Amino acid sequence: MTKLDYRDMWVFLEQEQGQVLPVSLELLCEARKLCDAAGEKLWAVAVGELNANEAEKVRACGTDRILRVTGSGYEPFSVDAYTELFTQLCRKYRPSAVFVGGTIRGRDFAPRFACRLPTGCTSDATELVYDPKTGDIEFIEPAVGGKMMAVITVPVMRPQVGTIRPGTFRYAPAGERPCELLEEHIDFPAERIRTRVLDYVPNEDDESLNIADADVIVCVGNAVKADSLPKYRELARRFGGKLACTRPVFDRGLLPFRLVIGQSGTVVKPKLLFSFGVSGAVNHVTGITDSERIVAVNKDPEAAIFHYCDYGVVGDMDEVCEALLAQTEGKG
Amino acid sequence: MSAYNKLTPELARELETLVGPGRFQYGDRVKEEYSHDEMPIYGRHLPEAVVLTETTEEVSAVLRFCWEHSVPVTVRGAGTGLVGGCVPLCGGVVLSTARMNKILRYDLKNLVVHTQPGVLLCDLAADALAHGLMYPPDPGEKTATVGGNVSTNAGGMRAVKYGVTRDYVLAMTVVLPSGEVMKLGKTVCKTSSGYSLLHLMIGSEGTLGVITELTLKLIPKPLRDVSLILPFANIAEAIASVPAIKLANLDPQSIEFMERDIVDSSAAFTGTPVFPTVVNGREAGAYILVTLVGGSEEELTLKMDRLGQVAQEAGAFDTLVVWTDNLKKDVWAARSAFLTVIEAETKLLDEMDVVVPVDRIAEFLVYTHDEAEQQGVYVRSFGHAGDGNLHIYCCSNDLEEEEFKRRVKKLMDACYRKCTEFEGQVSGEHSIGHAKKEYLRESVGDTAYGLMGAIKQVFDPKGILNPGKVCHDPERGWDAC
Amino acid sequence: MLNILVCVKQVPDVNLVKIDPETGSLIRKGVPAILNPHDENALEAALQMKERYGGFVTCITMGPDQAEEALRECLAAGADRAVLLSDRAFANADTLATSYVIVSAARTLGSFDLVFCGKESLDGATGQMASQLAERLDCSQLSCVEEILDLDERAGTLTARRCLERGFETAEARLPCLMTVEKSRYRVRIPNLKSWKASRKAEILRFDSRSIPGLDPAQIGDPGSPTKVPRTYPPAVGQRGRMLDEGSTEKTVEKLLGLLAGEH
Repeated sequence: MTKLDYRDMWVFLEQEQGQVLPVSLELLCEARKLCDAAGEKLWAVAVGELNANEAEKVRACGTDRILRVTGSGYEPFSVDAYTELFTQLCRKYRPSAVFVGGTIRGRDFAPRFACRLPTGCTSDATELVYDPKTGDIEFIEPAVGGKMMAVITVPVMRPQVGTIRPGTFRYAPAGERPCELLEEHIDFPAERIRTRVLDYVPNEDDESLNIADADVIVCVGNAVKADSLPKYRELARRFGGKLACTRPVFDRGLLPFRLVIGQSGTVVKPKLLFSFGVSGAVNHVTGITDSERIVAVNKDPEAAIFHYCDYGVVGDMDEVCEALLAQTEGKG
Repeated sequence: MSAYNKLTPELARELETLVGPGRFQYGDRVKEEYSHDEMPIYGRHLPEAVVLTETTEEVSAVLRFCWEHSVPVTVRGAGTGLVGGCVPLCGGVVLSTARMNKILRYDLKNLVVHTQPGVLLCDLAADALAHGLMYPPDPGEKTATVGGNVSTNAGGMRAVKYGVTRDYVLAMTVVLPSGEVMKLGKTVCKTSSGYSLLHLMIGSEGTLGVITELTLKLIPKPLRDVSLILPFANIAEAIASVPAIKLANLDPQSIEFMERDIVDSSAAFTGTPVFPTVVNGREAGAYILVTLVGGSEEELTLKMDRLGQVAQEAGAFDTLVVWTDNLKKDVWAARSAFLTVIEAETKLLDEMDVVVPVDRIAEFLVYTHDEAEQQGVYVRSFGHAGDGNLHIYCCSNDLEEEEFKRRVKKLMDACYRKCTEFEGQVSGEHSIGHAKKEYLRESVGDTAYGLMGAIKQVFDPKGILNPGKVCHDPERGWDAC
Repeated sequence: MLNILVCVKQVPDVNLVKIDPETGSLIRKGVPAILNPHDENALEAALQMKERYGGFVTCITMGPDQAEEALRECLAAGADRAVLLSDRAFANADTLATSYVIVSAARTLGSFDLVFCGKESLDGATGQMASQLAERLDCSQLSCVEEILDLDERAGTLTARRCLERGFETAEARLPCLMTVEKSRYRVRIPNLKSWKASRKAEILRFDSRSIPGLDPAQIGDPGSPTKVPRTYPPAVGQRGRMLDEGSTEKTVEKLLGLLAGEH
């Protein structure tokens, strides 16, 4: 069997409380474009219920086929059950690619079923390109701490498996088209499930930590002094926005992980983003490129961040922040 | 004698032409940060204007202008001082060297670097390392300027092996208050040629002249280094180990001490508990942090063995080895962050930078803690155990500022008296500024203090350079201020 | 007694890697090689389990000879045995081929009750090794473990609290179990002099492609890696934004606020 025997691209629909996660819909939209380029069909793979409302959303992304799997062992989520399920489904239907949201669950089971098949698995691509000459997908991702971009391919084996971080691709539904529903029933024996959830406590809903939907964000980079943080928090408040940071600021223990913007954190799409003391490494920049307007402040005139901003100010970040505070006195 | 003049709008316009509009602030354009350093408890004083000079010629022009018009000039580097040294007590002009931040060139054959004074210490250190060299002075405040370091004769953690900033300044270009440019020192290592004006400039806190270029000595980067943490039951036991460590022929690069409090604060602040608090089942009350350097792992291992033995005899719970890059980064980042941590957790803060004989450190600290307790303030301390230089921070979060100042004054009076009794120094590396003037006078005596004043008079007869600092009293020499 | 395996990797400190502006290639010269920081946490978790329940900790890595240094770091911290898998034939392996070699070697060392690895490496950062090691070891897996709460040797289970995207989960896993751990509770300890010295002299168990029994040459190194990297290139830089400088920070900020307001 050669790779030509594998056709159609799959997106796993990860659901939580009856809703398809945004990342799965984003992947459908992006995979639609790849399918168009490759002349293949787009499948959405749902496990368990898929209610009418959610199915509607899935079809709107240009899905050609929904594969709905019923059976025991998949709720609550189990790496053992999902690994076996996707192994079986891939062997039976032979898709050319399987895309899985880069959630904790997705990152747990996707590399595992890829290993069982076996085939190649990539993670965290920020761009997907179909190469008509080879028929391969190019998974393009930042490497070496974002200092390089690497093109990864799976030239021989199939399917090409990829986990993609939430927010990487735009949710832009291509529109509904004729969509077929396929059903499978596969049980996973309970005795083969090796992990059991005993308890789950959701995080307290701290709205200030939810930066994904913020309209205004003040993001501080590693140049920030610990005792200057209140200034930036106040600036965010003035603009009715939220404070966020880059990964190294979290590593210093100054701010919680949920405030990290970037590839390994949250992808944000604010109307206005202030970026203070951020060098502009690709891992971070991939998290801000959908911002409507970006103001960058950095003391280094050569900082990469100036290539991504709309307005740039070379100067001391604290000084600029103080000036902004002084001139927006009484706002917010 | 005439009073200082105010910088009128006319004078300001003229002054602005000397540096250009982008590098001049006047009146309400002057930023608040120029009114204080990192110890705002000593009061804020806004200058009338700020100039950001870029060349020796500009500095000379600015000084000549101010000299002619009797306008005070206070030089400022990064503003990281702790004694008000860069605070313009009498207003006038602040001359910032922040834009004179170029490392000019290396002379790798003679192991020197030529640099402008506004280069940050961290930048110089990193750049030298990239050239395979080391700039040995290593003060905790890495974002200070080298010009500031020279002006305060900053010491730092490696002083115990390599000496202080003074030992690494070979030559400098200085602008005298009159605007005259003078070169002091040569790029050679020996001199026996008259009074050393170079060394008079070092540590003069911008009261005698303005440094506009520096020639600094570098050394080859040590091939290997290792840091060791020695946890002790309490500070007395920790300090008691220091003479033995110094006698063990290890030539350590640094011997630092830290009390448990500051280590806990640092862990809470950074979220990164680096120093273990329980070692071999015992609660650590204080730590000694030693750094050894050597040419090979074998050499270091031998030294570590000796240190381990000394540590054990001195009652250390264990000898912990900070060998990997990951750990070194964490440990030294934690050590360097201590002041930031104290600043972050404290509303009111004052500090002492005394030096006492190594064998009296513990006694002095115990005395300070007792006095502080009586005054109702709390103390955080750490410092350079190897040379007896202690950084003692007096803190309060609940007192009113005036009350705090009153109590800290009592505390400090007592401590500096104790320091003098121990034959110690008022300041090891943070200088005098205007905050510690009285203590300096008490410590050195009237004759020495008078000589200092006379020297100031020779360099700066009009008293325009950094008035009111070290040994200068603008109230006496001048009618108005 | 628990038999514990820790899988580690030596990585270049990527924060210090620079790009040659002329060739666009990575300058690795002078960049120190360090133990992958997440692996330090994995090691610490293993050591804590050993202290709590008794056990034997083996650290294993695949890499060039220099990777020995990373293993010595593990030994200094308290690991009992270190294993280096080194062979030119292992080079250019992706996670599938690497996990194959590591697990093949691990099988010759015994069967493990607990396996720890870092959640991702500083350089590759795929985060796939944990899943693929678990798959090849045929064991249960728990990622993002914040704290291991309990281990019941008789029942052959452990319970752990995991830090998930939107909450904390307490899960029970059957042994053998592979875990990745979070940083906060598992910062690696600083070794004492005795242990450090022992680690410098300790013998490191070495395997190459011939000494791992039954190793299939088709599954190792480049031939065994389904993913390839046909090319790399420097990240695209967009056009510079509009740089504002009105002479003073105040004026610049004034201008900026004007521009921001004007466009609303």
